[in-house]
Amino acid sequence: MPKCIIDGKEFEFSPGEMVIQVADRNGIEIPRFCYHPALAVVAQCRMCAVEVEKMAKIQTACSLPAGEGMIVHTASEKVIKTRASVMEFTLINHPLDCPICDEAGECTLQDYSFAHGAPDSRYEEHRRTFIDLDMGPVIKKNMNRCIHCTRCIRFCDEVGGFREMVALKRGNSTEITTVDGKPLETEYAGNLADICPTGSLTLVDFRFKKRAWYLAKTKSVCEGCSQGCNIDVNSENGVVFRHLPRENMEINKWWICDEGRFSFKYVNAEARVTEPTVRTADKKLDFTDWKTAVAEAKGKATGKVLVLIGSDLTLEEMRAIQAFAKDKLKDASLFHYGTPGHTKASDDKAEDKILRRTSKTSNLHGAEKLGLKGWEGQGKFDSALVFRGGRAMMLTDLRKNVSGALIGVGVFETAAIDSYEVVLPGLSYTEKSGTIVNWMGKEQKLNKAIEPVGQSRGVADVFALWS
Amino acid sequence: MAELIVSKFFYNKEAAPLDYYRKHDGYEGMKKALAMKPDEVIAEVKKSNMKGRGGAGFPTGMKWSFIPKESKVPKYLVCNADESEPGTFKDRAIMTYSPHMMIEGMIIGSYAIGAKVSYIYIRGEYVREAEILEVALAEAYKAGLLGKNIMGSGFDHDMYVHRGAGAYICGEETGLLNSLEGKRGEPRVKPPFPAIKGAFGGPTIVNNVETLANVPAIMLKGGEWFAKLGKFPNSGGTRLFCVSGHVNKPGLYEFPCGSVTLRELIYDHCGGIRNGRKLKAVIPGGSSAPVLAAHELDIDLDVEPMAKAGSMLGSCGIIVIDDTWCAVKVIKRITHFYAHESCGQCTPCREGCRWMEDVLHRIEDGHGKESDLDLLLDIADNINGKTLCALGDAAAGPVTSFVRKFKHEFEEHIKGGKCPSA
Repeated sequence: MPKCIIDGKEFEFSPGEMVIQVADRNGIEIPRFCYHPALAVVAQCRMCAVEVEKMAKIQTACSLPAGEGMIVHTASEKVIKTRASVMEFTLINHPLDCPICDEAGECTLQDYSFAHGAPDSRYEEHRRTFIDLDMGPVIKKNMNRCIHCTRCIRFCDEVGGFREMVALKRGNSTEITTVDGKPLETEYAGNLADICPTGSLTLVDFRFKKRAWYLAKTKSVCEGCSQGCNIDVNSENGVVFRHLPRENMEINKWWICDEGRFSFKYVNAEARVTEPTVRTADKKLDFTDWKTAVAEAKGKATGKVLVLIGSDLTLEEMRAIQAFAKDKLKDASLFHYGTPGHTKASDDKAEDKILRRTSKTSNLHGAEKLGLKGWEGQGKFDSALVFRGGRAMMLTDLRKNVSGALIGVGVFETAAIDSYEVVLPGLSYTEKSGTIVNWMGKEQKLNKAIEPVGQSRGVADVFALWS
Repeated sequence: MAELIVSKFFYNKEAAPLDYYRKHDGYEGMKKALAMKPDEVIAEVKKSNMKGRGGAGFPTGMKWSFIPKESKVPKYLVCNADESEPGTFKDRAIMTYSPHMMIEGMIIGSYAIGAKVSYIYIRGEYVREAEILEVALAEAYKAGLLGKNIMGSGFDHDMYVHRGAGAYICGEETGLLNSLEGKRGEPRVKPPFPAIKGAFGGPTIVNNVETLANVPAIMLKGGEWFAKLGKFPNSGGTRLFCVSGHVNKPGLYEFPCGSVTLRELIYDHCGGIRNGRKLKAVIPGGSSAPVLAAHELDIDLDVEPMAKAGSMLGSCGIIVIDDTWCAVKVIKRITHFYAHESCGQCTPCREGCRWMEDVLHRIEDGHGKESDLDLLLDIADNINGKTLCALGDAAAGPVTSFVRKFKHEFEEHIKGGKCPSA
């Protein structure tokens, strides 16, 4: 393999690799705004300037193919001055409104300004300003903060698959906007906020909710579909604020879809049942204590029991339910359920060319691996136990199949439990650890990000009370 | 006067039609070229030592030889007729009076590199010139000089006129190619260079109008003859000088490379400064060339001597400025042009050009500060050599040279709080 020298150290590279890639691979940090490994190289921001021996001009590391014996300096005097000048140019028209900007704390521009910029500005002229158009429900644009890196344009073109964003006008007046000012249509719009190196594109949903530095990040996996995109669950004090995609080149690369990004909403929703609930003597559902509720459930789960297991549960939970049914229920039939029309793993298809899958639960493939069959609405039963993680379809009416009591265990909405006799509140994916299997057969770990909301308990705890 | 090549039919209103051109050795060079092997054609052009006439001065034969022999995708030749460097008007005259000379050169070039299609990318404002070219192309097709099996050689070639929309940046070759492809006119990252990946992904040569118009003569009379026309060994042929500004006889002048000095051109050929005034400055190669002061005129007009003198020959757009003009006003106007024409892609050019313009505006209006001169020099230094394409350099060079050479005028503005000539 050919070798080049960066900052005095020799590194191997494969032909065609750019200097920035060689540096990234070897932990040498070269600052950049426009370069993103997923997107075409445009060399526009000029921040990744490096000095190369035997080359008169400063080079941009993102667009410079590494060469045999090439000697690169990433921190020479010339490089430091160039970076400082790019920072100065980048900031002269930036509003410097970090105190009211949502990006602050996780802003590339802010970080680089500290690292490479000057403490004050020589700029005394008028700053340019823009009037912003509505970009739809996901992304809020602030063009004044934009540094014209064009990552968003390239993301729509190259990842999103269709051209939705463009640069209008020219030179100093260049405005980044959507085609004809229309709202974004892509189902991956949230990623624009992630790749934007400034606060120019932020999430409408997350704006003004929380400063980035207060958020704890927990490595987890999105439960929005069977793709299993890797995410960081961002939370503080038991409240989930957002999902950020976590790089996994085999599964989701750098991205998640908007559905997955905002799928956490039910976790802290007011409509979630978080107290043990039973039907009282006056036929109304009311809160009670765990002991009473479990005893009630135990008393009603009689005869031929239909056990429905949401394919949004972890492998560990499914196994626990299987063991419980075998030990504690005399005549139980176990099925998985989750997405309408998805009773077998083979029903799960790609929904687009990027990430989205048609199975809207995360562990359909895991359920099948454990030998569970899909529920197709068959058979007559005396009672039913419905386990649900939070994503599986809401089963509101099982009267056709079940003559007796419906008992829910897991995450339910108050509006959807009218037909139930007992609801035992369970854990969402953010409140537990466990394993799920994506459509490729890859096992991935969920990690507990927050404490259970309200009185919610895991299935193991519920079964412990049962006996 | 020495032999004229590209300007030989200038101002002759009969010269544009094909008949006239063919009666004067037209398409004879092409006939000769088509009988040669493509490699031999390139070798002949290499022998001529012709440097590109667009501004960068890259040797044409060498550029052609960069095109890969075998290519899975079609190769293209593109004529850069987006003449928009302020002070430059030579290509316009060639297209007006000798459209076939350029077309012939394009067919020869296309044959040499193996391109079956070529484009003339002409700036949008050149409406009449585009019309003349369309007529000329129709004539050439009718006469079998374009299309299938040209002159029985077995070489097929098609040529199209593509009108731009008048952006300066589309004269930069990769910006031109983007525009030609229907994309935003923004320069591309290099490498890959157009010779490897140009128009529509195919290997592409982009040549200036004047460069291509010289090719028929090279083929007809030989590369050696052409090379010998130049005063210096590595720069052959003649150049068209576009003299504008405060001279008595502005216009187009063709001279062998290096054969006259800037002083001779201005005083002997252009009749000196208008109304007997004093010369202040000369911009020798289009407005992007660093300015020369009145005492810096004894420079041979060729690429290398001009570079040695700290400026550039560029597109030979020679702008002569007399002492009635304020240097600050001139550079403010030039900087406004580059700020306006910056594509906005890369940071130093997008932000820096406008910043320089604003500062210059302030100084001209009498609101300048002592520190502004250092600021201007630093901004220019931060742009120069650090941008994606040459537009940044084109904006920075003039500012640096004006501030250095006419510092006293800037200081008068700053101290006096107004423009002394206002």
